[in-house]
Amino acid sequence: MAGALLYYRLTSLGNLVAYRLRRLRQPKYLLGTVVAVAYFYYFVFRRVGLAWAASPGGLRTAPAGDSALFFVAAACAGLSILALLRIGFAWAFPPDTPGFRFSEAEIGFLFPAPIPRRTLIHYRLLSNQAAILFTSVLIALVFTRGGYLASHRVYRAVGWWVILSLFDLHLNGTRMTVARLRERSAHYVLWRVVAVAAIVLYATAVFWSAFAVAGTAAELGDFSPHALDGVATALLASPVFPWLTLPFRIAFGPYAATSAGGFFRALGPAALLLGLHYYWVLNTEAQFEEGSIAMAEKRAAAKAAASRGERPKLGAGRPKPLSGPFPLAPVGPPEIAFLWKNLLSMRSVLFSRRALVIVLAFLTWMGFTLRPLLAGHASAADSQAIGVMVLLSSGIIAVYTLLLGPQLARQDLRGDLANADLLKTYPIAGWRLALGELLAPTLLLSLVLWFTIAAAVSAFDPAGRFEAVTPGVRAVIAACLALAAPLVCLIQLIVPNTIMVLFPGWYQTARSRTAGVEMFGQRIIFGLAQFLFALVVLLPVAGWAAVVAVCSYPLVGVAGAAVTGTGMALFILGAEAAVGLWWLGARFGHFDLSGEVR
Amino acid sequence: MIEVHALAKKYGSFTAVRELTFSARPGEVLGLVGPNGAGKTTTLRCLAGIIPMTAGTVRVDGHDLAADPVAAKRALAFFPDEPRLFDYLTVRQHLNFVARIYGVAGYEALAMPLLEELELADKADVLPGELSRGMKQKLVIACGLLHSPRVMFFDEPLTGLDPLGIRRMKDSIVRRAQGGAAIVLSSHLLHLLEEVCTHVLILKKGEKVADGTLADVAAQFSNGEPNVSLEEVFIRATGGTET
Repeated sequence: MAGALLYYRLTSLGNLVAYRLRRLRQPKYLLGTVVAVAYFYYFVFRRVGLAWAASPGGLRTAPAGDSALFFVAAACAGLSILALLRIGFAWAFPPDTPGFRFSEAEIGFLFPAPIPRRTLIHYRLLSNQAAILFTSVLIALVFTRGGYLASHRVYRAVGWWVILSLFDLHLNGTRMTVARLRERSAHYVLWRVVAVAAIVLYATAVFWSAFAVAGTAAELGDFSPHALDGVATALLASPVFPWLTLPFRIAFGPYAATSAGGFFRALGPAALLLGLHYYWVLNTEAQFEEGSIAMAEKRAAAKAAASRGERPKLGAGRPKPLSGPFPLAPVGPPEIAFLWKNLLSMRSVLFSRRALVIVLAFLTWMGFTLRPLLAGHASAADSQAIGVMVLLSSGIIAVYTLLLGPQLARQDLRGDLANADLLKTYPIAGWRLALGELLAPTLLLSLVLWFTIAAAVSAFDPAGRFEAVTPGVRAVIAACLALAAPLVCLIQLIVPNTIMVLFPGWYQTARSRTAGVEMFGQRIIFGLAQFLFALVVLLPVAGWAAVVAVCSYPLVGVAGAAVTGTGMALFILGAEAAVGLWWLGARFGHFDLSGEVR
Repeated sequence: MIEVHALAKKYGSFTAVRELTFSARPGEVLGLVGPNGAGKTTTLRCLAGIIPMTAGTVRVDGHDLAADPVAAKRALAFFPDEPRLFDYLTVRQHLNFVARIYGVAGYEALAMPLLEELELADKADVLPGELSRGMKQKLVIACGLLHSPRVMFFDEPLTGLDPLGIRRMKDSIVRRAQGGAAIVLSSHLLHLLEEVCTHVLILKKGEKVADGTLADVAAQFSNGEPNVSLEEVFIRATGGTET
């Protein structure tokens, strides 16, 4: 039996590699591969090679620097928090039918075959190992420049393998345990509440035990490398913290080892922990077949949908009917109908669990950052530091919104690719259809930009050192930026929609979620295209707006200059958007997916 | 009224449809038949304005499809073989959306009778994901009929329907034609054509082989034999092995 399964895995792997090599004959895959290889060479392997050449024996990284212990501990703590959050999420929001990740073919052939259930689980867990091993080696190779660890790269690769394997096993064990409770316990919900409460309690206990030691050092305000290492040493010598974090310290032991002796000493407990987890997963008697089938069907449907040009389904469950975002009158501009429709589909994404977690995490971070202000005891230095932080964060969010936002907010023509035939039967001019389809993501991205503009303008110069920037001037600048934001977003959204219409084959391939170095390269190409287009379109706008603002400044002052500059920017942006929409609409009218996607 | 003159469609060097000329007047149901790859779906997609034609002219209800596509599309409805719907719009919201696109004032008064006729009234507030394929097909039909089109194109209209649905669909096509609509339908089901079509157009490799009333086309390929079935006519017209 094991031989047959091994044959299947190895033959599949061989055929996959052959297939990937064969399809390099198509330009879109070849170019994607060239770009991806260039990227990996420049950003990863060249650096690995340099580090390799610089270190004696080729395997050892630079010796540990100051504060090594602290930074290693901090990295481990960060990963532990992420793992705890994921496990907590698995308890709080379990799938309706949990299962292991089998393909539809595996289910079709292996489930009815005379294979013991445990062998199937063995097979699945061991299959995961291929990806985990690859990831471990890659991470150990890529992260060579930290210099915090004096460990052998092999130790770190093994360390990563231990960490990722433990996480994979623990997550599977949790899913199976939750499924077993669901099947057999009358107190299923209560058990989950208790588990989540236990995780929260545990995290709180760890935090307070660490704070009791590290908080004193923080109050002294000494953040020198020596002091930070002292904090880490004190934490490990404290009475409670080491015991509370024992499982995590065992998991991270091989990774953090700095000598051969330490590595092998850490390997024993880690192997024991791995064994216990494996035993746990194998011996948790829960039905996984139905869940596995559901997962496989969902993945196969998403893959088929992507290849047909449809939008992959989001979230774990089926979408639920929602009321419209506003009443849609039967008569009026048809663009509003598209806004209504796309906002409706957007709502099911925006109100998903994933979105909720992101918003909660963001609010928590904001609350933590703005603690002094919220508590009303912020000093001038605090206000200044928070102002800089908010300004920086707003800038980063705005840039990401403009560059990555259009790739993420796809409730436009791209989301309706499967319905392209239907859209083209509608009695609407092409440019109006394009505008209608782009309204919803434009609104969403504009809302984010308006938020960042408001935050940035509020946080600018809290000490009031720039006298010319009065509250009135700030309001005018904010209003000017807010006016320009929707047009900028609209233009940025025209880019990926145009790429889709011009190169549907490329677009389809890039969004198909298929793995592979060539897919990575294609996504880089699309990202670069978005960036370059933004430069080409926005630089003239910024340039002319600046010229007009500077020329009018002596006559009308700061606020007036902002208004005249914005007027010029709006004029150019409006013209660019109009041309873009007209052209996109015309191209969409000639777009024939069936003739181009292969 | 549909008037097609010298319609041609090319994909690169491949000609999918060439020099196709025909018309369908109000009250007529024209059946488009032909073997796989004959160009039936391509023809329908050109007529509905989904893909641009390479050459020729198409007039829908008097409007030139190339010169005034918006006016032409306002008069037509296209029913594809595979129902395509918006994932996050319920049945009722689909009708609301389509009403706005076509500007159907007071659509509510039309929507409920349509849903009842198509047995979708109790599914008005569910998403397409919860509908069977046949129900999705019915929803597409409801959306298409909402603006009372004068020209209709059906691509394999019976696919996925149950026997009762098939009977109702056939009745519906005939009733719409009797109400003054010009209809073109493409199907492999020759008995459907015999039951509902007044005219037939046989395509082969993108070219018209025969065109006219069922009796005319039958006479053209009967070689003087009486009571030749449409199936036999089709096989003879398309050069099947049984000729």
